[in-house]
Amino acid sequence: MRKKTYVQCVASTVFLLFATHASAYSIFVSNEKDNTISIIDGETLEVAETVTVGERPRGIVLSHDNAVLYMCTSDDDHVEVLDVKTLKVTHTLPSGPDPELMQLNPEGTKLYIANEDDNLVTVVNVDDRTKEVEIPVGIEPEGIGVSPDGKWLVNTSETTNMAHFINTDTLKIEANVLVDTRPRVAQFTGDGSEVWVSSEIGGTVSIIDTESKEIKHKLSFEVRGLAPEAIQPVGVKLSTDGSNRAYIALGPAARVAVVNMQTYEIEKYLLVGQRVWNLEFSPDQDRLFTTNGVSGDVSVIDLKKLRVIKSIKVGRFPWGLAVSPDKRG
Amino acid sequence: MSARNINFSFGAKTVLDNVQIEVPNGKFVALLGQNGAGKTTLFSIITGLYAAHGGEISIGGYDLRKDIQAALGSIGVVFQRPTLDRDLTVKQNLRYFCNLHGISRSDAYKRIETALESYGLAELHKRKVTQLSGGQQRRVELARATLHNPRFLLLDEPTVGLDHSNRLEFVSNVKALCKTLNVGVLWATHLMDEVEDADYVYILHHGKILFEGKSDDLLETHGKNSIAELYSHLTGKTTDVQHPS
Amino acid sequence: MKLKHAASCFRGILARESLRFLNQRARFFAALVRPLVWLFIFAAGFRSVLGVSIIPPYQTYVLYEEYITPGLLGMIMLFNGMQSSLSMVYDREMGSMRLLLVSPLPRWFLLLSKLLSGVGVALLQVYVFLLIAWFWEVRPPVAGYFFVIPALIISGLMLGALGLMLSSFVTQLENFAGVMNFVIFPMFFASSALYPLWRVRDSSEALYWIANLNPFTHAVEFVRFALYSEFNWQAGLITLLCTLFFLAVAIWGYDPLRGFLPRKGGPAASN
Repeated sequence: MRKKTYVQCVASTVFLLFATHASAYSIFVSNEKDNTISIIDGETLEVAETVTVGERPRGIVLSHDNAVLYMCTSDDDHVEVLDVKTLKVTHTLPSGPDPELMQLNPEGTKLYIANEDDNLVTVVNVDDRTKEVEIPVGIEPEGIGVSPDGKWLVNTSETTNMAHFINTDTLKIEANVLVDTRPRVAQFTGDGSEVWVSSEIGGTVSIIDTESKEIKHKLSFEVRGLAPEAIQPVGVKLSTDGSNRAYIALGPAARVAVVNMQTYEIEKYLLVGQRVWNLEFSPDQDRLFTTNGVSGDVSVIDLKKLRVIKSIKVGRFPWGLAVSPDKRG
Repeated sequence: MSARNINFSFGAKTVLDNVQIEVPNGKFVALLGQNGAGKTTLFSIITGLYAAHGGEISIGGYDLRKDIQAALGSIGVVFQRPTLDRDLTVKQNLRYFCNLHGISRSDAYKRIETALESYGLAELHKRKVTQLSGGQQRRVELARATLHNPRFLLLDEPTVGLDHSNRLEFVSNVKALCKTLNVGVLWATHLMDEVEDADYVYILHHGKILFEGKSDDLLETHGKNSIAELYSHLTGKTTDVQHPS
Repeated sequence: MKLKHAASCFRGILARESLRFLNQRARFFAALVRPLVWLFIFAAGFRSVLGVSIIPPYQTYVLYEEYITPGLLGMIMLFNGMQSSLSMVYDREMGSMRLLLVSPLPRWFLLLSKLLSGVGVALLQVYVFLLIAWFWEVRPPVAGYFFVIPALIISGLMLGALGLMLSSFVTQLENFAGVMNFVIFPMFFASSALYPLWRVRDSSEALYWIANLNPFTHAVEFVRFALYSEFNWQAGLITLLCTLFFLAVAIWGYDPLRGFLPRKGGPAASN
């Protein structure tokens, strides 16, 4: 009898060990050319489902309750809202033409959307499904970053080569920071003290102090054997788990750079698929996912070992990424 | 050891032609022949490296063809060319041989000690083979050939490369073995003085046994003073088989 | 054949190979330099290539040095197999081979023991190489380091047996230079060691077929999959069958009834 209890005890411990392993999550990937969303199972790392959506899906964001996925369907000139349970597009949001990247405010009530063709940032109320306001910015707005406290909205404009600091109360641009050519992604650190802005053509990442709005450091990259033109930083992901690491996707260089956020040293370059653009963490930040446009796959990086463990074939030209802590289906 | 009707050829070339040889226990038997007479081939056949194209060989009562392992187990061989592992020490070489012959570890230890002692190699046992003189190497090979207590020793030109004194010492070592251990010895050579007081002599010439008999009888029958004279008388050659100067 | 005797014999042969290895450390490291040069210099030249396309057993893009690592393990086994088998017959080893073959044990057992001991020493080289490669960021999964052992042993046996077989039949392979030119280089280059087979096919259909017929290709693929904890049935089976075939022919080649190297007047023509 005692023996049996012991066995049961061990069995349940083992079960718990596995059950508590936080890999029961899903990765949503937008495929720009296929007009689909691929859903990858975080446990098996295989594509579980593929959903057809509107034209040219690019930036995607999950609602804070992970119930719906907002998708910039750029060529349809609106944001589609996908019910994550039913995998049906329930409604659309008015985004203005050619939406590309967007962010939710900390409350999860408003979407800040960059309209590339109209030089605008559109603020959309997701509950009322209405366009609240349009903020004129530089030419070809691209990246959107929202500070953790929600006070600042940073938008990058690809042609003006600026990061615009917009006060979310007044919705006015309070500062413009000149960065290197073709800024793409803007990302705040977890404490909101810095914004990291990648410059695709310039090949750099500018680290801007939020308070002074001045560039305090500029990262540049070098991959042995690769021409400097091939290094085009786009996606930026900053850890908030205390590891103090930043990850930068280097586009055609097919590498993700691992950067120490304190010393700004580049620790490692990890080989992923070709034209790597966007990045997303797993819920507990033990993995990083990358969309590789040209090779049409998503690479999975083990962040503890800093090793690329797998590349998963998805649709044509995967672009955006969102990770939900819920296992779908 | 006895070999009967041994024939062997490389292609069309006959190397051994109906060779018969007998080596009784405790006897020192010499096989005299010039280079190319077929001595090494005969030895290769007796050690199972080649199979004869006819004939029978029995070693210690075992038929070489039917029971090659038992037959090989009762021969000790000193090859014409050195077969010591030059990268190993004397003792390692001997231990390797004991392993090949399945001699148990404790037994091997005792036998190696005894052999090193009796061949005057005790101080050299930690040396690598490359650090030994030619004479010392030959002594190691002889010591090795007797480790498994063979009933029959086969030596193929064992003194090649040795100087005069080393040569004589080696010959007397083997002759002593022959008597004390009662092993049969087949000694192949082209050097006369090694053969002079053999118990029995075979003269191998162009693959044939040209003559055989006790050396004294041989000389008597042919009225010659030495084996050398006898040899030149029989083969009409004096160049290859000779007294070393 | 008594088991105890056989065990003692195998122990002896293994001990001898190990001692030789210990006494010839210079040669050991010299042999290690060859694959390392390929890893550091040849593979580094291809570094800019944007990773080798994903083919099994790889799960993601790999740098060229990671791709050629199994090929270089194969190279270690290939050189060792050829060197030990052929040097057994030629060069100074001739004598020790004779000594081995007059031991009172079945010849197949003696030859197999000799081959296995050679593989053992090659395995040591492989692991030293893998350790160095680890610092060069070539890091297969931990389990792969264990799973690769049987694949390496079978591949090593195959290549050793091939060397043995060649040594007993091909009289032209007089020295190691000949073996390099006519066996090692063709086998190594016309295989999947340096380039994936699909890449080979892109440049030459003929070469692709030659590589497919090359047992070394299958040995390398067997090792490659094993290093990533996967078993490639096809490659494994072909390697195993080739091993058995080469072994059988080599043992037959050393059969005294056929004669031990009865050529050119035999190994010791100077009687």
